Amino acid sequence: MLDEDKQVGNMAEAAARAAQPYRRHIVGLPLQRSLFGQAARAATTIGLPGLTSELDFPARLDENGDLFLDGSQVATLSKALPAWFTPETLELMHTRHAAACDALVNASENAARGAASLDRAARELSQDLADKMALVLAYGVLSKFVPDVLLRALADAGDVEPPPFPETSAGAELMQDMFALYQDCRALDYTPQRLQREWPRVSPQVFQLVAEFCNRQSGFGPLAWDSPGHEDPDYVVRLLHSAFDSLDAEQVRRRFSFANRPALARSSTGVSTEVTALRRVLGFWLDFLEWETWYVRRAFYVGMIPLLRQLAAGYRHEMPAFQVADLLFLDIRELVAGIADPAVIHTRRHRYMENSDYLSFHGIDPGRLATILEGS
Amino acid sequence: MSAGNSTTVHSGVGAAPGRASGKAYVIRDAEDIMAVPAGCILVLRILHPHLAPLLPRVAGLVVEEGAILQHATTLARECGIPAAVGIRDARNLFQDADLLEVDGYTGKVTETHLH
Repeated sequence: MLDEDKQVGNMAEAAARAAQPYRRHIVGLPLQRSLFGQAARAATTIGLPGLTSELDFPARLDENGDLFLDGSQVATLSKALPAWFTPETLELMHTRHAAACDALVNASENAARGAASLDRAARELSQDLADKMALVLAYGVLSKFVPDVLLRALADAGDVEPPPFPETSAGAELMQDMFALYQDCRALDYTPQRLQREWPRVSPQVFQLVAEFCNRQSGFGPLAWDSPGHEDPDYVVRLLHSAFDSLDAEQVRRRFSFANRPALARSSTGVSTEVTALRRVLGFWLDFLEWETWYVRRAFYVGMIPLLRQLAAGYRHEMPAFQVADLLFLDIRELVAGIADPAVIHTRRHRYMENSDYLSFHGIDPGRLATILEGS
Repeated sequence: MSAGNSTTVHSGVGAAPGRASGKAYVIRDAEDIMAVPAGCILVLRILHPHLAPLLPRVAGLVVEEGAILQHATTLARECGIPAAVGIRDARNLFQDADLLEVDGYTGKVTETHLH
């Protein structure tokens, strides 16, 4: 059996340097936690300076799902970055970052299509999907400081424009879509209150509207897969109630039509190549900040769950009581290698279920894992 | 407000312009997002995009996490909601129904203590 500490990769030694978590309870399931084992990959992929080995990378996730960032190491990296920025290195950073995001979206769709194939293929697809998730997560770790360094570099280069925030962010798109769902339900005589009270025993038309919304917006939610998000109709119905109950729809529409929009980037005429390159890359990072969780969460719901169901079916030949959710208590290497020791799974599941702080923080009820994985 | 009232000012970073006042509503765990009062000043660690649908009912935002480059800034600016970020430990500083005023230009959050 693999040593659980090694699930968090080579960051464990760096861990000792950081005493306080940067964020607590971000990820609790061993399978998802193990994807953080490659936290240095994005940095090494784009060749960031100041890294002589992965041990120099200042991030790790511990067995409680707490993320640690070593402030002094971050400062060292941040200091080394500006001198590394050239139009060429910025372009490299941009293209590899964008490619990692696109590759994860493609791998998710690919996994969803391939899930009905053989067990071995399911393992290979799981490995491929996990690799791509891990890389996007690694870019997520970089996003804790690289955008700030880019912004400072812009200021140092004499740029006085506002940061290149996205014109329409991921959250704004989601908000508009949920507002549209609210209006569609209202048109069918379902107020948020009635929808919540009667759900799921609502008209087939309303049921369909909610289900389609969930399919469309699957991926929006907390980073922790096990925490409810927009893929879950119960969650959506409750959030819709919380968001729009007792609000005047016309007021909401008016308010947002007059809302301040982020300043647009100025024309690049007369602006140095360096500033143009920095603004382009920073713009991509700011957009990525809005989508980073979506990429990884959607990959799980669209791609990984069908694969886990396929793999669990294989285990059931030998262990009839095996549940799909058991696979969440393996790390990715165990999953791909086909190592599933019931005693180890039991121990890890017990530890997870005993972590009431984590479960309560994320709104995870005891039946949550079965609900998302068994489709019940 | 009576003359005997006092205020405490907490300084952060102005993330989205405008001023708003109202009663605090503190998000401590996932369940808290299901009962956000209309017109409140939402206090939370970080505003993730998946919480964006709540913004139509929120008057202002107070966010613990620091930098100007983050989800809350982007969303609050888009929605025209005054926001202060980098108010450290805000979820412990404030309780539900505390009276807060958010200055999204300066990043200052003023808490009024009624006497």
